[in-house]
Amino acid sequence: MHLELPSKVRPTFSVLSYHPREPARGYHVVKRYRLGRDSCLRVASDVGGTFTDLVYYDERSGRFGAAKADTTPPDFEHGVLDTIHKAKLDPSSIEYFAHGSTVVINALTERKGVKTGLVTTRGFRDVLEIARGNRPDLFNFYFTKPKPFVPRHLRAEVSERIDFKGNTLVPLNLGELVPIVEAFRAEGVEAIAVCFLHSYANPGHEQQAAQEIKRIWPDVAVVASYEITREWREYERTNTTVLSAYIHPIANSYLTSLEQELRAEGTRGQLYIMQSNGGVATMETAKHNPITMVESGPVSGVLGAIALGQLIGEPNIIALDIGGTTAKCSLVDRLQPRVTTEYRIEWSRTNPGYPITTPVIDIVEIGNGGGSIAWIDSAGSLHVGPQSAGAVPGPAAYGRGGTEPTTTDANLITGRIDPEYFLGGEISPDMDNVRKAFGSLAARLDSQIDDVARGVIRIANANMVNALKLVSLNRGHDPREFTLVAFGGGGSMHAAALAAELNIPRVIVPVNPAVFSAWGMLLTDLRRGYIRTRVTRLDSAAPDDVAAPFAELEDAATREFAADGIDGDRLVLQRFADMRYKGQEHTVKVILPTGTIDAHALSDGVDRFHQAHEREYTYRLSSPIELVNYHLVGFGLVPKPELAKLERTGRQAEAAMRGRRSVDFDTYGVHTSAIYERGLLEPGMDIAGPAIVEEPAATIVLLPMQHATVDEYGNLHIELQ
Amino acid sequence: MATTLVDPFTIEIIKNSLVAIGDEMFYALQRTSKSTIIYETLDYGVAITDADGRLVAQGNGVPLFIGTLDAAVNAVRDKFGVSGQLRPGDIVVTNDPYGGGGTHLSDVSLIMPIYHEGELVAFVGNKAHWTELGGKDPGSWTTDSTEVYQEGLQFPNVKLFNQGEPDEALLDLIAANVRLPDMTLGDLWAGVAALRVGERRFLDLCDKYTRDTVLVAIDSLLDYGEEMARQELGRLPKGTFEAEDMIDDDGIGNGPFPVRVRVTISDEEFVADFTGSHPQVPGPINNTRTGLASGVRAVFKAVTNPAIPANGGAFRPVRAICPDGTVFTAQRPAPVSTYWETMLYATDLIWKALAPHVPERLPAGHMLSVCGTVLAGPNPDTGELFLLVEPLVGGWGAGHDKDGENGQFCVGDGETYNIPIEITETRYGVIVDQYAFHTEDGGAGEFRGGKGVVLDYRAVGDGTYLTGTFGRHKYKPWGMNGGHEGSPNFIKVIRRDGSEEGPFGKVARLRLEKGDVARLVTATGGGYGDPRRRPRGRVLADIRDGYINVEQANRDYGVDVDATTVAPGIVQEPST
Repeated sequence: MHLELPSKVRPTFSVLSYHPREPARGYHVVKRYRLGRDSCLRVASDVGGTFTDLVYYDERSGRFGAAKADTTPPDFEHGVLDTIHKAKLDPSSIEYFAHGSTVVINALTERKGVKTGLVTTRGFRDVLEIARGNRPDLFNFYFTKPKPFVPRHLRAEVSERIDFKGNTLVPLNLGELVPIVEAFRAEGVEAIAVCFLHSYANPGHEQQAAQEIKRIWPDVAVVASYEITREWREYERTNTTVLSAYIHPIANSYLTSLEQELRAEGTRGQLYIMQSNGGVATMETAKHNPITMVESGPVSGVLGAIALGQLIGEPNIIALDIGGTTAKCSLVDRLQPRVTTEYRIEWSRTNPGYPITTPVIDIVEIGNGGGSIAWIDSAGSLHVGPQSAGAVPGPAAYGRGGTEPTTTDANLITGRIDPEYFLGGEISPDMDNVRKAFGSLAARLDSQIDDVARGVIRIANANMVNALKLVSLNRGHDPREFTLVAFGGGGSMHAAALAAELNIPRVIVPVNPAVFSAWGMLLTDLRRGYIRTRVTRLDSAAPDDVAAPFAELEDAATREFAADGIDGDRLVLQRFADMRYKGQEHTVKVILPTGTIDAHALSDGVDRFHQAHEREYTYRLSSPIELVNYHLVGFGLVPKPELAKLERTGRQAEAAMRGRRSVDFDTYGVHTSAIYERGLLEPGMDIAGPAIVEEPAATIVLLPMQHATVDEYGNLHIELQ
Repeated sequence: MATTLVDPFTIEIIKNSLVAIGDEMFYALQRTSKSTIIYETLDYGVAITDADGRLVAQGNGVPLFIGTLDAAVNAVRDKFGVSGQLRPGDIVVTNDPYGGGGTHLSDVSLIMPIYHEGELVAFVGNKAHWTELGGKDPGSWTTDSTEVYQEGLQFPNVKLFNQGEPDEALLDLIAANVRLPDMTLGDLWAGVAALRVGERRFLDLCDKYTRDTVLVAIDSLLDYGEEMARQELGRLPKGTFEAEDMIDDDGIGNGPFPVRVRVTISDEEFVADFTGSHPQVPGPINNTRTGLASGVRAVFKAVTNPAIPANGGAFRPVRAICPDGTVFTAQRPAPVSTYWETMLYATDLIWKALAPHVPERLPAGHMLSVCGTVLAGPNPDTGELFLLVEPLVGGWGAGHDKDGENGQFCVGDGETYNIPIEITETRYGVIVDQYAFHTEDGGAGEFRGGKGVVLDYRAVGDGTYLTGTFGRHKYKPWGMNGGHEGSPNFIKVIRRDGSEEGPFGKVARLRLEKGDVARLVTATGGGYGDPRRRPRGRVLADIRDGYINVEQANRDYGVDVDATTVAPGIVQEPST
């Protein structure tokens, strides 16, 4: 479907008629001289487990547009190109292309990466399996620890040793790599991770080993730990490297194909990849280190939620993104996302999970989306997910060979999704296939199809409630003080019931929720982080000792941003210092002022640390202070579009009503529900539940005791009556 | 108590907020500590009790602190509370092993009362393993002490802070009596920080929901814990179950010591009676009554529902019986510095008695011992004393439907992290030569026992001293249902000239010179079921992965494998 915006034909998206803010000084001039007069499109593209979304902004007309296509595994780039074609964009007009993808996280959680081998220091192949030995499920004596991504027979050791100072104790024996690589090849390994002890201090052996492996077997993917992280702690670094290798061939060939296809179609503009840290990186950087994309899709949704919160004055937000494969949520406290460097996939109160040591906006993700498959375990209990039918074969309703019942199918049976308006009316659901899929479940449960469909939705909702609790209640935040921003293809379908369950007072369904993550990406600045570990005792350091490392980082940042055409006012550099009292291990991050670092600035930094430590931990010490990490974050500011307020004609909600049909609201009963067309809504309209609001790529469910109003930008606010 | 009606949703929020307060205290302590045993090993616990000393929430750390913090709070109440001597901002320090929630001297509790608008509403507390507390040996705990006075500084339940002001005299006294005062006082301040964070958050909760509502929610939480525990108790098999075992020795030449339990489960109660266990012994393996309560509570949670909130209500049906003066209930001045080894026996005895009846929650015996070591010596770069104190991972027992877990800490540890080798080598004067699974005999079964590890520390300088206590060195992890017993825990020293000493179960201050290797080997867990029932394919896969060798496949599993036909693994087996 093509969602040209704004358009009289597709009134749904008329609300997306934004006007650009005054562009930043010099920006367009620079870009246009380099790329030609036609380069005027800023495009954001987001590959989800089921759908691929595109949002674009035309600088000439000041208009937004969007398109959506199926995600096309294993060649995900085809889905991206499909959205460009559907939107009828001229690829040669693209001056800025930002891309996010769940390709990496899906490959990890569904264990669909490649067979991976590990080369490590002799004596230490079991570091990956021993992990940290911890058991968060304290009283479970029947605990099962997570299985490593590389089994023991594919974990090889070589003779080499470097000490913590970076000195070589045992030289690397490259000759040992030949039989190892041959054994890996015979086993069908497709990627090799290399991680040696203390390589953060001296990556020499890792570099040599990686080169030698490439020499022996040029076609294999090789990832060495120093390329990903220069932090100590061998298990975390090894696991990060292994997971990087595991997804490397998939992510790399994907990014390469994407780049080639875009270039082949004439795109000359900059290609950027959304990073987990909330910024974007160049294509080259991303290809080298694709694990940093691990949360790239979800992160842009959180940034979108923050931008929306800023616009409408909602500082406390829980962002909920339900796609085809997963549901993700993240808490935004006073417009600040939580960024963590202690990211773990599959972590929970009972599961140690798998660490990935790359900075990530804190997001909780569970395997529950529209395409999640309902199944019955050996004890006869019904489960939903985490396996997903994806886009191919997709839910049973797609009639593309999918025989398993999914959450989307359950929403069709209950009447929440209109069969006549399935995927915007683009395809007609195969209801016979849906009933067949649920029929076999119902037979095994000795139940009725309708009851099973309700049960599937209830279980999916309970799973999502738990995820929402993890980011709110379990971290001491009261959901009653937050607003739920629901997006993704399925967010608005479930949000009302989840909010009712958690007493969240308000749900906001943004304009065009299905492509909200991609919209968030258009609002993302370029971001690069630079960290150097250099332990400096501040009681004996001269100002120059501290100024010099920052100067190095600032030079590097200025150079790299200049290559992207970013300088002057558009380059913002922020200094941070990770500091601690001598003897402590963990540090407190302190913001340092810009400008000259002199004795006064230094003592100011020390004061800030004392204050921060006392604020966080209630006391200060007279111990010497160490500056451990010099941390610089560079932002390349991009001009951001501004939303226009919508006109109101004073029409009432009835004018947007398309009809009525019977809808099953589970515990809230079966009701003849009013059906509204979202594209016909305008500010000031008030809709009483029970109701369904439909738009081409999303369905909004209002429970009987709820009502919804339309704000001046077209966002729908659902509240308790 | 107010009879305010509180909606279930608010109770849920307060309950989760209390857990979150526990998490925050836990985090604060970790982030500010100066000891690896706290910030990496997480050998500490934090708790909130109500004003009556009933455990409301306990923060993750090690499960076997589960009986200690409410006991410490009650000791504080008995000494100061009853006589009206507690004030806002007071902090009490205690480590008395024989009463008041103490275990060994190294585990120091800090307790703080919380007042809301002048009324005592709760206590927060933490108990952490301080790395250095003086005593006869560096690291304070040792394997050959003969009375508690050799084991470090004793804090007999005294005020460390008076209304927010530290007692400087006491701080000076501590600094003068420990080997690493900066580290010890750093741990002290970390504990204080955690208490203050807890106090602040608890008061926020009272301000937000009103004090009465919070107290009602706490009552209902405790009742809920009890109700859940009673429901689970109802599902357990009823009757009397017995087990006995042997503790290797006491570290100074005595032993072995028989220990036994008689577990009686009814609809109302879960009673563990240790009567008949050996009297307290001359060496430092003695456990105390607080440790016994913890050991029983931990296994009770394991056999009921590990997910039930760990609060006082959940333990109302639990009772431990044991006369004074046994190895489980030692009296002053018995040495207790490695008490945990015997506390774990209390847990393991109940486990062993119940495992055949609750196989879905209890696998076969695991390595059981914390396998604790102290390495002490001059840092080769700075000459300053370094102290490496840590537990070691080992093999868990196989269950009725799965192989045992490889390389996990024993159940006495929990959210405990091993110290990364890269940190070990940076901070301490050793090089690690290997950290790997081994193929010692033991643990064969239809489901195989989990693998223990071998960890080699090579001394970088002269005069490094090794102390270690590895239980289940003579009496190995037990198998189930025809599965074989596991392998033993042991310590060995390989001198630079190649000569070997050991294996030992316990060593004290064994001197290592430059180039000598301390080899620490932990047990493989017990097996489950007859190994001959293990499918051939799984045995071959185990050989390929190097989890077992060809000889074991032939002998234990009856799988006829010709060594020459097995594709050689990518690496050799580690040496033990």
